[in-house]
Amino acid sequence: MDMKVIQDDGDIAHVVLDGRFDIQGAQEVDSRFDELAKSSKALIVDLAKVSFLASLGIRTLMLSAKTLIRSGGEMAVCGANESVEKVLRTTGFNEVAGIYPDYPSAAGALRERLGAFSTKKA
Amino acid sequence: MNSPRSCSRDFPGTVEAASDAEIWIANQASALGLGQEAEFAIGLCLEEVFLNAVKHGNANRATISMCAEPHGVIVEFADDGAPFDPTLAPAKRISGPTQDFDIGGYGAGLMQKFSRRMSYSRFEGMNRLVLEFDAGRNASPDSLSAP
Repeated sequence: MDMKVIQDDGDIAHVVLDGRFDIQGAQEVDSRFDELAKSSKALIVDLAKVSFLASLGIRTLMLSAKTLIRSGGEMAVCGANESVEKVLRTTGFNEVAGIYPDYPSAAGALRERLGAFSTKKA
Repeated sequence: MNSPRSCSRDFPGTVEAASDAEIWIANQASALGLGQEAEFAIGLCLEEVFLNAVKHGNANRATISMCAEPHGVIVEFADDGAPFDPTLAPAKRISGPTQDFDIGGYGAGLMQKFSRRMSYSRFEGMNRLVLEFDAGRNASPDSLSAP
């Protein structure tokens, strides 16, 4: 599976995945996801070109979300097709990370939440 | 080696074989003319059950059989691992915003959601899980009857 990382404005890492998020796909991106989750404040994963998501792919997304949330960060996914979104909602992933139709709406929501969090902390 | 029209194949009990099985399932579903939703659902459920059998049941071997019927697809997964009935496993789900959520264990809920029906039996030291799926609009059930 292809994985491209586009650094947005410093706060948000934009990850674009392309391919099947199956066993092999998850093994190919796992360590990069781990590094990103540890080094980013917010992560948006674009799933528009992901045709399949199952056990190990879900685990990769869950682990990244957990790492980010525990360090005060945020995670979201965008562009998921109907089946991929059904997987995410069935596990309750949407309770810990936002699911948005596209990158601009995800980025807008995350910036708002990070801003609100910074204001609250100050 | 099985021919493309074969609907059954044996796999060793390894994670690598589970990955091979995913490719075989996708090819098989395509050969059967199944719709994308059906192919997705079958692949999802079989990844879950295969990895469970290998990682938690210490299975040494597994057999996957697929059979297209007029109104759906029947998939049987058999393995020689420890007895485990996924039809009795709770459908776990993250129930609200939290930092303390599990990163795994969602397989039973996914299989229940993505299959039409699941049934389990234990026979001669083997787990036998039968999953039924809707075939999707491209289904071509006759394709398995050819030699």
